[in-house]
Amino acid sequence: MSLKIQDLTLTVEGVSYLDGVSANFERGKLATVIGRTLAGKTTLMRGIAGLQHLDRGALTLDAQDFSTLPAWRRDIAMVYQQFINYPHLNVFENVAFPLRRRGLDETVVDRRVRVVLDKVGLTGFEARRPHQLSGGQQQRVALARALAREAGILLLDEPLVNLDYKLREQMRSEFRGLLADQEETIVIYNTTDPVEAMLLGDTVVVMHESRVLQIGTPAEVFDRPASTQVASVVNDPPMNFIQGRKGETDIELVGGVRINLPWHLSDLAMGDYWFGIRANELRVGGTSLTSQVTFSEVSGSETFLYVDSTAGSMTLQVQGVHIHDLDSKVGIGIPAERLFVFDTSDNKSLVAAPATGAQL
Amino acid sequence: MSRMYLFLKYSAIALWSIFVVTPFLWALTTSFKTANGVTGGPTYLPWLQYEPSLTGWKSLFGGGGGIDIVKPYIDSLIVTGSASLISIVLGSLAAYGLSRFTYKAGFVKNPDLIFFFISQRIMPPIVLAIPFFLMLKWLDLLDSRIGLILVYVALLLPIAVWIMVDFFNNIPRQIDEMAMLDGCTPFQAFVRVILPNSLPGIIVAGMFCLIFGWNDFFFAFTLTFTDTQLLPVAVVALNSSVTPWWSLSASALISIAPLLLVAFVVERFLSHGTLAGAIR
Amino acid sequence: MGETGLRRYKLAFLLPGLLTLLAIILFPLLFTIRVSASGWDAITPELNWVGGKNYAALWADVRFWQSLARLGGMAVGTVLIQYVLGFALALLVWHDVKARRFFRLLFLIPMMTTPVIMSVIWRTILHESLGPANDLLYLVGLGPYPWLTSGGWAVVSVMIVEIWQWTPFMFLLLLAGLISLPREPFLAAAIDGAGPIRTFLNVTFPLMATVSIGAIMIRLIEASKLMETVYVLTSGGPGTASETSGYYIYIKGLRDFDIGYAASLSITYLVIMIVLLTIIGKVLHRALVGGRS
Repeated sequence: MSLKIQDLTLTVEGVSYLDGVSANFERGKLATVIGRTLAGKTTLMRGIAGLQHLDRGALTLDAQDFSTLPAWRRDIAMVYQQFINYPHLNVFENVAFPLRRRGLDETVVDRRVRVVLDKVGLTGFEARRPHQLSGGQQQRVALARALAREAGILLLDEPLVNLDYKLREQMRSEFRGLLADQEETIVIYNTTDPVEAMLLGDTVVVMHESRVLQIGTPAEVFDRPASTQVASVVNDPPMNFIQGRKGETDIELVGGVRINLPWHLSDLAMGDYWFGIRANELRVGGTSLTSQVTFSEVSGSETFLYVDSTAGSMTLQVQGVHIHDLDSKVGIGIPAERLFVFDTSDNKSLVAAPATGAQL
Repeated sequence: MSRMYLFLKYSAIALWSIFVVTPFLWALTTSFKTANGVTGGPTYLPWLQYEPSLTGWKSLFGGGGGIDIVKPYIDSLIVTGSASLISIVLGSLAAYGLSRFTYKAGFVKNPDLIFFFISQRIMPPIVLAIPFFLMLKWLDLLDSRIGLILVYVALLLPIAVWIMVDFFNNIPRQIDEMAMLDGCTPFQAFVRVILPNSLPGIIVAGMFCLIFGWNDFFFAFTLTFTDTQLLPVAVVALNSSVTPWWSLSASALISIAPLLLVAFVVERFLSHGTLAGAIR
Repeated sequence: MGETGLRRYKLAFLLPGLLTLLAIILFPLLFTIRVSASGWDAITPELNWVGGKNYAALWADVRFWQSLARLGGMAVGTVLIQYVLGFALALLVWHDVKARRFFRLLFLIPMMTTPVIMSVIWRTILHESLGPANDLLYLVGLGPYPWLTSGGWAVVSVMIVEIWQWTPFMFLLLLAGLISLPREPFLAAAIDGAGPIRTFLNVTFPLMATVSIGAIMIRLIEASKLMETVYVLTSGGPGTASETSGYYIYIKGLRDFDIGYAASLSITYLVIMIVLLTIIGKVLHRALVGGRS
């Protein structure tokens, strides 16, 4: 029992918005769609909802094609990133609106609305109008309305992105609880934040430039990214990539840096590859190579270091607050056992990955 | 410098205010005059310069050299009201379409359509008066309320479209979409969600339509005669040397009175800022 | 695929209004063009065909072209004066919040009143011997002026009435524009030590360019139809001294019943107005805003 999308394609005036997008979404599961801005996530969602015309592709729910149904006949609820509520209705009426449209009995409506409002923590706000609420509260109303519908498909398009940081974290942790009893619902959640995608999703769909790059569990996508593109999207800050060559006994990176062969790469065929290493797995003060600091940024309790080296420019993510002067020299340690290997084809597909258990 | 400036400023304002108010004051005082107050030259102050009387005002209700103001009032109300209503309904529908959808017929697209609606205002009434006259004659609708309502719809529809398109554009499209996902057809979304949120726009459009319709002279003049009489025509018909000035003034004042009321309402709106967006 | 079901609704929204408008305006317009190629008048009240005869005749119709020139002069004149006065009043009242409310109400009133009816009142005011205009001016040692009985003065009278009626409109539009201007440029000018005149020339006026053009064009479009005020105030007179094109065409078409000829005059009038107004619009835009339209 699932939502199946197949080969969804949309091109407008030469620009590709969706290119052969296919995926399966199962009932009772939360799928996160992760991708950078303009990856096609929103277009995908609007296509499923019936708000966006598509050039080609199939949409089936439990093997029934619904692509010819207009949006108002599809059983789909959506939460936008821009706190969309009906300005002329109060909170109660906002949540009740779709239920009343469907002709549900007023006692049923009343009960459902109150239950849902309680779930999102807005009991007591029934008489308020959206413009009298804070951003977080407005989004909760939108969420309540979507949940009250008990629709077959629930779409959330970056619902937390316009909230401030603390609120976002708080609501993120509440999310799983909110969706706990929606066993029959197919939930799709768009985000650009890898952390969010990994935390919330049962399944992760990685999109980039109108295509689906990989679908898998968070662990699969994170530990075995299908290509450098996926590894880029799924890590924040993006993974560092260095070209190099695997020789008989060691790895020689661009710029002459030599690294000992880790055991997980011992079976790797000799040749040219792209090697990947996460920003938070590079070590400051190491001896693999020297570099020069081009920029450093302290954020919260972490420091981001941007350096230039003979192997190219790299980003490091270091715990704690460290002051590094501009143009100062810093040694970098590359832990060989954490290296990813991608081939040099156009796709830069994964060839080898380190053992699982890396820190998120 | 500042003192001088303030003096000039308030003098200018005072002068202009006097200029604005003069016609009303003059008409007001004249409406209470009789022959003595007029024929010897202009007089201004009641009791001091002339003996006030209610002749002018009494003549409004038929009898004694005046006009019957009641019928023109009713006709104006019916014609202007109906035409405004129709224009707002059709105009809002069209404006919503223009705001939400993309139309394309050959090279004609949305901005062209909007321009087409708005450019109707350039049309000098005389260009249309001749064919309207002939057409209404052919349809046997000359001198009738319905004929005039049809004509007025053509004049007021562009105004309604012009104002409503702007208001609709200010409502995020996602609200329409949300309504559709919640089970509304586009039409239901329009009626149940968009319209309630466009109330200020509808009121503004309504007021502009009412004002423009009420104040029309030319079409009412050329297309009606005796069966249907609109206020402006009725008053202007008195504008001959036969009608005494006091009846004339009284008729004029009572004809514009409702508009002065509307002026108050509009000012209220202006200060609440809701109108500010419309007068752009 | 991915049918959004909106296609049907698209047309349902637009067509009722569009078709109504087309029916009520386009057909009459086409009809007028057809009539202009006929010799319909009081003697032969029928839709015959005379080709371009009417148009050839109007070329030589001095009265028509004079009325056009007169209309042009009056329209441009009144709009300019309305603009200057309206702007001046708006500037005076701009920062004075209390005065603003008072004037918004006061100025609203002329705009809302029926122009023709006010013209009726003005006719009594401007009456040479019985009206207050000359009487009051006499007190200040001016006049008496032949407001409605002399050619040049008749034009002035019409212009006065128009200015009285529509300056408030300019005032309101321009004031709204002034209020919505950003503060920063003015703060910058003040810091640079600019006086009120320089601030106006270099900051206020340029920033108000789009609003000014909009207001002027709207008023110009309405002023180009000038006819009712003339009808009530002066009947185009004395003689044809204050006759505008609209008035002349009215006489020809609906009084002399020379419908075919009047139709050709109307079409010519319309076309000239469209062309001129478009040119003026573009010129103003380029002059005050500059660059792409």
